[in-house]
Amino acid sequence: MKKLLIFAILVTLVGCKTAPVAPKFPDVPNELTKSCPDLTLIDESVTKLSDVMTVVSKNYNQYYECKVQIDNWIEWYNMQRDINNKIGK
Amino acid sequence: MWLLSFIPDSFLHLAVLAILSAGAVLYTIGLFINFIPPLYPYKEITRIIGTALIVAGVYFYGSYNTEMSWRKREEELQAQVKQAEQKSKDANAKVKVKIVKQLKIVHDKQVVVQQIIQRDAAKIDAICKLDPSVIKDLNEAAKNPLGDSK
Repeated sequence: MKKLLIFAILVTLVGCKTAPVAPKFPDVPNELTKSCPDLTLIDESVTKLSDVMTVVSKNYNQYYECKVQIDNWIEWYNMQRDINNKIGK
Repeated sequence: MWLLSFIPDSFLHLAVLAILSAGAVLYTIGLFINFIPPLYPYKEITRIIGTALIVAGVYFYGSYNTEMSWRKREEELQAQVKQAEQKSKDANAKVKVKIVKQLKIVHDKQVVVQQIIQRDAAKIDAICKLDPSVIKDLNEAAKNPLGDSK
């Protein structure tokens, strides 16, 4: 009786099947995986405004580089979401 | 129906039809046994087996059709997944190209701005003298309030 029960359970289990279709989550481009660096600080020995402006403008540039990353992250996510949401429909 | 996935479609179809046909043949034989007296004792059992095979055959035929419809659905989904993966790759390539292009624009602009500052440095520094608190205050504003960003 015990063996029969084990056999019945095994037979039931072989009826189980995992979903054979599993979409792989796409890899994000490497360009988007870098984190934004901290802003550059000005050397305290600096006395010229032009040197200050150089650092400040580099920081502005850094902001725009980060903006490119974030905006493209959002665009990438929206595109991938739309592509994946269409599967099975 | 995991085990069924190992059996070829044509074999499954053939097996179902064989069971159904065997049931129909047995049942028909059961009807004609009335005309053959020596086989009369087997009449009932032949009909019972025939009926059981017909019922099983119809059931298997239904199962076969369900299995086939799932396999078709699976194939469709796999095709869609493949298509989606290709679209994902295309989208990634598009984003990569766009990032590189945008970063180049930002970088080029920065180079120009730096050149302008260097060109105007003498003029700027001649009329403006900085108080040390300017650097301190600017650095304070530039510090990440969350500490280490990682």
